[in-house]
Amino acid sequence: MIISKQICDGFSDLEIIQKSLEEIDFFSCLFERYEEKMLRYIKRVAIVTREEAEDILQESFIKIWKNLHAFDQSLKLSSWIYRIVHNQTISSLRKKKSYGKDQQVELNESLFAEMAEGKEGLSETDLAEREALTERILSQLPLPYKEVLVLKFLENMSYEEISDVLKIPEGTVATRINRAKKAFREISNRQFVSFEI
Amino acid sequence: MKSSEKLIQAIKEQDVKPVPKWHFTLKNSLLWTGFLIAVFLGALAFSVVLFAIQQTDFNIISHLTHSRLELFLGLLPFVWIVFLVVFVGIAFFSIRHSKKGYKFTVAKLAGFSAALSILLGTLYFLAGGASQLDKVFAANVGLYESIQEKKMKLWSMPEEGYLSGEIVNVSPDFFQLKDFKNKVWEITFEEAFIPPVVTLERGEKVKVIGKMLSRDAFSADEIRPWGGAGKRMQNRGQNR
Repeated sequence: MIISKQICDGFSDLEIIQKSLEEIDFFSCLFERYEEKMLRYIKRVAIVTREEAEDILQESFIKIWKNLHAFDQSLKLSSWIYRIVHNQTISSLRKKKSYGKDQQVELNESLFAEMAEGKEGLSETDLAEREALTERILSQLPLPYKEVLVLKFLENMSYEEISDVLKIPEGTVATRINRAKKAFREISNRQFVSFEI
Repeated sequence: MKSSEKLIQAIKEQDVKPVPKWHFTLKNSLLWTGFLIAVFLGALAFSVVLFAIQQTDFNIISHLTHSRLELFLGLLPFVWIVFLVVFVGIAFFSIRHSKKGYKFTVAKLAGFSAALSILLGTLYFLAGGASQLDKVFAANVGLYESIQEKKMKLWSMPEEGYLSGEIVNVSPDFFQLKDFKNKVWEITFEEAFIPPVVTLERGEKVKVIGKMLSRDAFSADEIRPWGGAGKRMQNRGQNR
């Protein structure tokens, strides 16, 4: 039995966890609440198809279920979920041996449409072009730089949240973001594109 | 079928169960216990390193005429330095893998682990535990060369100008010294520097820096107490 969205919305994340431990079907509430956000994140970090991203997400949520008692309530649940999804994504990438500098982004219509979400003030063509360029430059960055830029600027996380997701000190997050920004600018300058980051 | 339904179905089919809470609690407890034990053992190792530094007169090595490096390396308490590094490493590993370990840099965690061992080790050394530990090791571990043995080795080189042992007889111009190989030497000390902590009397253990005059005669330039305070200071301490 899958719990309806209406019922799920009546519970906080922590209440859903408690309910899930009593009745597993409530776990679908947690999945649905984070599904789109996490799929978007997986596709930003890894160059994968929607189906592959869904597989990664499913594996991640099986791990989340398995380690539900390991959740430290001093963390934000979203940070913990991001951490597991991130680790699963990296692990899948390693298995495919297709991550890192050699990646080339495939620019297709769905990617354009997805990245245009929530952006205003720019025409759709301009926005798509800009987002595609951002994605292409990101794809040329080493993974440690790419992941901090995605978490900071696309997922809008604080340094503390990034620290919790990547399990690195906040100071290291700051340093890495600075270096990543520099690397991003260098690549964008080589491609005659100007970005404000 | 919705993805959420697929997920729940997969969990049910694979019969995946949440790992019990005690498993994570136990893991965390083991990490902290490991940290505390490693810090404690690191402290013991550091206290013996301190004891070795206190007991071994590294400053005299520069005066030796040959084999300085060899002697210096021989005097270093390698076993304890290795123990110290290993235990600080284990303490670092344990704390790094604890729940919030990732919040701190490697340098901070390693520094914290080392600082704790150093602090506790210094206290243990000041309490006199290090010399006991050295003795226990010397008595029970066959290959272990104690700090005292190393010290005796360094101070049993009359050709190099270093001699030590127990005073067996004292005259106004010289005294007789039985070295640690039970050989008796006649030591002249007219020009020698003798610090107030040293009492030239029968039974006092001393270290002598000077020159070998013949097979059983030695001229002293400086006389030092064998270990820490001399007999006079020890007696003074006991009388208080």
